[in-house]
Amino acid sequence: MMKRHEQRNRWVVAAAALCCLTISHFAGERAFAAGVGNDDFDHQSKKFFVAYDAVPEPFMTADSGDRNLADFYELRQYPGSPPRIPHPVDLTISGNGTDCLACHAKGGYSAEFGKFIPVTPHPENSLCYQCHVQKVTDATFVASTWQSIKPPRLGLSFLAGSPPSIPHSLQLRENCIACHTGPGAVAEIRVSHASRGYCRQCHVPAVQQEAFSEFRRP
Amino acid sequence: MKLDRRRFILSAAAGSAVATAGALFPGISFADWPKITGNSGVVSWQKAPCRFCGTGCGVLVGVVEGRAVAVKGDPNCSVNKGLCCMKGYHSVQALYGADRLTKAKIRKNGEMVEVPIAEALDLVAAKLKETRDKHGKNSVAIYGSGQWTIPDGYVASKLFKGCLGTNNVEANARLCMSSAVTGFMTTFGIDEPMGCYEDIDNANVFITWGNNMAEMHPVLFSRMLANRKRRTNVKIIDFATRTTRTSAAADKSILFKPQTDLAVANAICHEIIANDWVNWNFVGEHVSFHKGKTNIGYGTEDNFAFTDQDEAIGFEDYKKFLADYSPEKVEKISGVSAKDIKYMAALYGDPALKVTSFWCMGMNQHTRGTWINNLVYNIHLLVGKISTPGNSPFSLTGQPSACGTVREVGTLTHALPHGTVTDEHDRKMAAEIWGVPVENIDPKPTYHTVEMFRALDRGEIKFMWIQVTNPMVTLPNLKRYRNGAKKEGHFLVVSDVYPTPTTDVADVILPAAMWIEKEGLYGNSERRTQHFGQIVNPPGEAMSDTWQIIEVARRLGFEKQFPWSPENYIEKIWEEYRRFHAGPKHEMASYQVLSERSGVQWPFVNGKETRWRFNPKYDPACTNGKAFDFYGKKDNRAWIWARPYEPAAESPDSDYPFWLNTGRVIEHWHTGTMTRRIPVLHNAMPSSYVELNPEDAADLGVVNGEKVKIISRRGEVTIPAQINGRGVPPRGMVFVPFFDESYLINEVTLDAFCPISKQPDYKKCAVRLEKA
Repeated sequence: MMKRHEQRNRWVVAAAALCCLTISHFAGERAFAAGVGNDDFDHQSKKFFVAYDAVPEPFMTADSGDRNLADFYELRQYPGSPPRIPHPVDLTISGNGTDCLACHAKGGYSAEFGKFIPVTPHPENSLCYQCHVQKVTDATFVASTWQSIKPPRLGLSFLAGSPPSIPHSLQLRENCIACHTGPGAVAEIRVSHASRGYCRQCHVPAVQQEAFSEFRRP
Repeated sequence: MKLDRRRFILSAAAGSAVATAGALFPGISFADWPKITGNSGVVSWQKAPCRFCGTGCGVLVGVVEGRAVAVKGDPNCSVNKGLCCMKGYHSVQALYGADRLTKAKIRKNGEMVEVPIAEALDLVAAKLKETRDKHGKNSVAIYGSGQWTIPDGYVASKLFKGCLGTNNVEANARLCMSSAVTGFMTTFGIDEPMGCYEDIDNANVFITWGNNMAEMHPVLFSRMLANRKRRTNVKIIDFATRTTRTSAAADKSILFKPQTDLAVANAICHEIIANDWVNWNFVGEHVSFHKGKTNIGYGTEDNFAFTDQDEAIGFEDYKKFLADYSPEKVEKISGVSAKDIKYMAALYGDPALKVTSFWCMGMNQHTRGTWINNLVYNIHLLVGKISTPGNSPFSLTGQPSACGTVREVGTLTHALPHGTVTDEHDRKMAAEIWGVPVENIDPKPTYHTVEMFRALDRGEIKFMWIQVTNPMVTLPNLKRYRNGAKKEGHFLVVSDVYPTPTTDVADVILPAAMWIEKEGLYGNSERRTQHFGQIVNPPGEAMSDTWQIIEVARRLGFEKQFPWSPENYIEKIWEEYRRFHAGPKHEMASYQVLSERSGVQWPFVNGKETRWRFNPKYDPACTNGKAFDFYGKKDNRAWIWARPYEPAAESPDSDYPFWLNTGRVIEHWHTGTMTRRIPVLHNAMPSSYVELNPEDAADLGVVNGEKVKIISRRGEVTIPAQINGRGVPPRGMVFVPFFDESYLINEVTLDAFCPISKQPDYKKCAVRLEKA
């Protein structure tokens, strides 16, 4: 069995060898050596409990079915990227916490859009336009060769019938109920038991770090 | 990596779940992008500093199958603590524009034709040698930027200053932060901020001086907002020439007339003294008073020369100098009410409040840029609010390694990696470390950036190599310099990652490896050095800028000075460069430490970073036994300068009645060559525009989106109007973002500069408007 990192290193070395034929630089052996262990940062869990206390149960368990996962990913460039703003906003949005957050801090029904409003998992960040952009044109400046990857899979239970794990990083998304409960939530990722108070009692963060490979005696 | 038993079960379980769940949502992808097929879904994450501004956010780049596919904020990095801005989150998309330069091109009979990169490098070396032999050492030049990595700038300086013996080494940073440098040098005798970003968590009052941080340094601005939200006694004051998103988020917005920040800063000092808010202990122990020349000119003529001369004065002289700057008098010059001036003075003066001032291009791109930097330091020094957590005059930077490469490596005509070419000791040190005869290093500086491009126009410079920057968009009074660059008899080499207006005028284009396609180091605004490894491969024959220079140096016969191998050249260069900064005032971390951490602040002494300089509690270089040690100056004091208000180089008059101000927007960085190729950012901000005051627009008969012709004595641009958009200028001013090569606003701007720093003023010239 060849392990993931080794595979990658060999791939890079091979690519570098190809480069060497022409320009003779960029050996890749060290290129992947400084991998960073990620998702070890878990000091923001209080956010969830505060939010949970503040959201009434009937709201959490309501379901409008308005949004689905395809809409959800359409606004993103890759898993975890800040979604675009899908509706017109005033150009003068100010960052003083009274604009976007008036609707997106708590959610509820928007008469303007005829929809339930998605809730941000990180209302403590009030400079929304720092990360979230509008779209005023579909045109690109030049074409792009960008490629995305598959979204994280759903239903990642380790054993039959066991609670599925959390397939995404918790960074900026510590507050589970923002996206997984309420009438504005995406249908496919709404939980069936929104009123239970402590998601991570059962659901463990398990962002896939390693590819599956066959067992071979070491 | 060893797979233990538990881990094996976990990944086996995940794998089998993948097999069943993978087909659950077949049609889904991100924004309709094609998916990498057949991948396992595993993303490997590696650290890097962000490619864009000088904040220096740590990012984690996600890689699948050799392609960068995602970004997260690096929670390990104290700069941004896991949060990025829209440019950072989408930065990896900038690698994948369809028109990446992947092959070298050379001009043959007027046409650019693709050649193997080795052939192009042969030609570069041959032309450099031929030009130098024929026209002398100062006929060749290199022009880089604060986007150079530290090794890029280091080898450029070593080749040109050390081996070729010319001081024709300059960088875009001259247009960007040289007033900050001369501000630091004249006040403190040593460059770069004494404080760090932790000041943001500790201050009670933030005053942004002509600085739209909400768009230009959004991650730091967010940190200010978070501080204000968390505590009860935090205020943000936006002191600016136009109303921006920063004004909207601030507690108070105060507008001043362009150039009159000089007068207001003096008025604040006047008020501090009048109310006896001076910190006498601090001033008595740590400050001396000085004055320099006045009526110093604007540098608009070729071969302009200026040398300041300092003269020591006493406090009483300084007080007398300030008599012209009472709040009431300055109200008339600046349009800022005496009440508001007194309000700002009271914030600086209140001993219970910690005050941080932020500035960037507003103060640096200023024909009195050095002076206004001095004057804001004056305020902090009079009240002793400096070098302690939360008390910080903080000069921000715009490019990822303006500090690391241009200021610390010294890629400016007068500078060396340690000190200046005019200093014999510094020349000897450089010659020894570089392994060249000391006579090689010319003790006389040559051209600063504007003069360098004037020299190109005049024909004195005949060979120029431009790396990682786009002067054919960024130079002020651009027409002259573009026409100059196009003249016969020049040989221009341009290294870049995409076609730009600068590659358009090149004789050789070298394809460059970008950001994480090569190993490198950056240095951010708070003295933090940030290492990144090569994370993905560069496309085609693209090569790092460092290695391009090494290849040319070897072709010129400097194998001895450039002996490194591609496997570890960055490490070797770093360890050689680090010798220049040995000692407690500027000790740099080792390669090993830098490669492990998400940035390390210098001075890095005995394994500890220095967060606040000049303060013995934090800074091991302090030796005078007092509460502070301003060791940059020979008198161990920080210098307060009497610097007067002088008008701008060109002010509105009856023929050209409007101020033109230029700058950036949050979506785009610098000339947009990278950010415009990020689809999500281009979709949000596809074109530049001119911001008009609504009443001026009404007078002109223009509504939103209609075109306006902006005309100056130098050129004109026709551009769509934006009225009541994200920024609103006062009556009599227009503002244009400069990122868009379709609207070259720098054909309109003026090439006047600060005589001390030689940094041009992009914020002030006179224009008239016509409905187009």
